[in-house]
Amino acid sequence: MGPSGSGKTTLLRLISAQLRPESGKVFVNDIDIHALQTKELYQLRRSMGMLFQSGALFTNLSVFENVAFPLREHTQLPEEMIHDLVLMQLETVGLRGAHGLMPSELSGGMSRRVALARALVFNPQLMMYDEPFTGQDPITMGVLVKLIKHLNDILGLTSIIVSHDVAETASIADYIYVIAAGKIIGEGTPQQVLHNESPIVRQFIQGLPDGIVPFHYPAIHKYIQDLGLCSN
Amino acid sequence: MFKLIQLIENFGQKGLAFCERVGIAGIFLTRTALRRPRFLRFLPLLIEQLYFIGVLSLVIVVVSSLFIGMVLGLQGYNILQKFGTVAQLGQLVALSVVRELGPVITGLLFAGRAGSALTAEIGLMQATEQIASMEMMAVDPLWKIIAPRFWAGVISMPVLTAVFDAIAIFGGYLVGVEWLGIDAGQFWSNMQAAVDFRVDVINGLIKSVVFGCIVTWIAVYQGYYTVPTASGISRATTRTVVYSSLAILGLDFILTAFMVGGW
Amino acid sequence: MIARRFLEFAVGLFMILGVVALVVLAFKASSFSQYSQRNSYQVTAVFDHIGDLKIRAPVTIAGVRVGEVKKIMIDPVTFRAKVVMFLDKKQQNLPSDSSASILTAGLIGANYIEIAPGFADNLLKNDGLIEETHPAVILERLIGQLVYNLKGDKEKDENKKTK
Repeated sequence: MGPSGSGKTTLLRLISAQLRPESGKVFVNDIDIHALQTKELYQLRRSMGMLFQSGALFTNLSVFENVAFPLREHTQLPEEMIHDLVLMQLETVGLRGAHGLMPSELSGGMSRRVALARALVFNPQLMMYDEPFTGQDPITMGVLVKLIKHLNDILGLTSIIVSHDVAETASIADYIYVIAAGKIIGEGTPQQVLHNESPIVRQFIQGLPDGIVPFHYPAIHKYIQDLGLCSN
Repeated sequence: MFKLIQLIENFGQKGLAFCERVGIAGIFLTRTALRRPRFLRFLPLLIEQLYFIGVLSLVIVVVSSLFIGMVLGLQGYNILQKFGTVAQLGQLVALSVVRELGPVITGLLFAGRAGSALTAEIGLMQATEQIASMEMMAVDPLWKIIAPRFWAGVISMPVLTAVFDAIAIFGGYLVGVEWLGIDAGQFWSNMQAAVDFRVDVINGLIKSVVFGCIVTWIAVYQGYYTVPTASGISRATTRTVVYSSLAILGLDFILTAFMVGGW
Repeated sequence: MIARRFLEFAVGLFMILGVVALVVLAFKASSFSQYSQRNSYQVTAVFDHIGDLKIRAPVTIAGVRVGEVKKIMIDPVTFRAKVVMFLDKKQQNLPSDSSASILTAGLIGANYIEIAPGFADNLLKNDGLIEETHPAVILERLIGQLVYNLKGDKEKDENKKTK
C-alpha cells in the first residue's frame, strides 16, 4: 500500500519481469528472474498470474475465448475439455452465464472477474493484483474482496495486492508493506500497521489530509505576494 | 554565443535520440521477422491479417487506380496531340503506371489506410494492457500479434500494386480508346513494344515489396512503442502516415536510381 | 470474430486477383524481351555515328524485327562507336558481307538498325563483325550540306551570268 506515485505498480512490474531494474535483483522462488533467458522466463511466468487494473481482456474475443486463450496457446487439450475447464473457471468467479458476452458488454467489475478467471486457469503459485478495487462500487468491491481471499485460501496461492484501499485490503491481508517514495516506511500484520507510530504511515492509514505529505504544493512566492498585495 | 552552443547541443541530442530510436526499431524488426516459423499455427493468424490489411484495402486501390488511369489518359492525350503522336498514349500510361505511379501511389494509399489502422490497433492494445497481459500469460506478443501483421503487409503490397497497375492501364484504355477514339490495336501494340515485363513490371513489383516492408514496419513499431494514452496513440498514427509517406518517396528515388542508372 | 471460412475465401480471392492482374500485365500490357543469351547470337558493327541509337533499340531486316541492341561502346583506338547486337538464332543465315545502317522511325522518331543482306557464301556467326556500315543521318549536318550546296549553286549561277 502507499500514496499515489510511490512506486507500487512499478514494483509489481519488476516482480513480473516486465521492467528491468537499473540496480538490484528480484528473486522469485529463489530464482533471479532478470537473469533468465526469454524461454525460461516464459516458463516461470506460467506459474505466475497477474490481474491488470483494467482487466486487459482481449477485446476481439468473447468472454469464453478470453478464458480459453491460455489453454489453447499452451496445451493441446481437446475442445470438450477446454469447454469444461473454461466454464469451471467462470463458475468460480460467478460469471458462467456471461460466457457468450464480448468484453465491451461487461461492466468494470465483471471484466476484472473474467480476467481473474483467465489468470487462474493454470493454477499459478503467485498471483499479483494491480489495484483491483480502484473505482468499484461497494457491491463489486465486496465481490472482488471475497473472491481474492477465497481463492487465495482454497488454492494455496501467494497473492500480492497493490492497492490504496486501506480498509478493504487490511481486511483480507496477512501482511502489509507501506511504501512511500520508493521506500518501505512500515510493515507488519494489519493490526501492527494500523497502530504504527510513524507519522507518514499514520497519515496514510487514517487518511489525514495534511501531515508529512503536505496539503499545499510548495509555491515560490508567499500568498500575499501572489495576490499582489505586497511588493517583495 | 551560449545560445548557439545550446542549440548545437540540442541538435546533437536529438540526433542521438533518433539513432537510438532507429536502433530500437531495427531490433524490433529482427525479433519480429526472423523467427523459427511454426507454419501451422501461424497460418490462420496470417490469413486473418491478410484479410484486414489486404482485402479491405482493395476498394480504395481499385477506385483510385481507375481514376488515375483515366486522368493519365486524358492529360496524356492532350499533350501528345500537339506532337501528332497520340498513338503512343498506351505507352505513356503504361510506363508511368507500372514504373512509378503503381508502387508509389499504392504505397501511399496503403500507408494511409492500413498503416494508420495497424498503428491505432496495436497502440490501443498497448494502452489497455492487452499486450502486457499476453506477455504475463507467457505468450509472445511479437509472434502472435506483430509478426502476422508484418508479413500480411509485405505480402499484400505487391498484390495491391499489380491490381493497381492493371486497372489504371484499363482506365487509360477507357479514356483513350473508348472515349477519345485512338485505335485500339495501336494503343495495345505500342504499349507492348515499349513495356518490358522483366525490367518494368517486375521492378515495379520489387519496389512495392520494399514499400510494403517499410510501411508495415513503421506502422507496427509506432503502435508498439506508443505512449499509452489517447493523445499518444493519435500522434503515433499521424507519425506512421507521415514517416511512411516520406520513406516511400525517398526509397522510390533510390530504387529508381538503382534500376535505371545501374549503379 | 469473422467466420474462418469467409476469411480464407476472401483472402484466396484477393491473391487470385493479384495473380490475374499480373498475368494481364504480362500479356496485354508488356512484352517479354525475347533476346537473351539462350535464343540469340551476338554480332558487332562499328559506326561513324550512331545518332540517337539506344540500348534495346530494334534491329530489323526488311523492316521485320530480328533482334535488339545490347551494348554500345566506343572503340578506344579508332574512336568509332561499337554496337553489340543480339540477333534471333532463327536468322543465322545472314551473309558475311551484309551491311548495317542506322535509320529513323518516322521523321523525328527513335533510331534503329536495319541490316541489308549481302551476297557472300559464308554466313555471319556468333561474335561476327559487320564491316559495311552507314552512320545515322544527323539533321544538322544535312542542313549544313543543304546550305552549302545552295550557296554553291548560287555561285555557279553568278559565274555563268558573268561569263
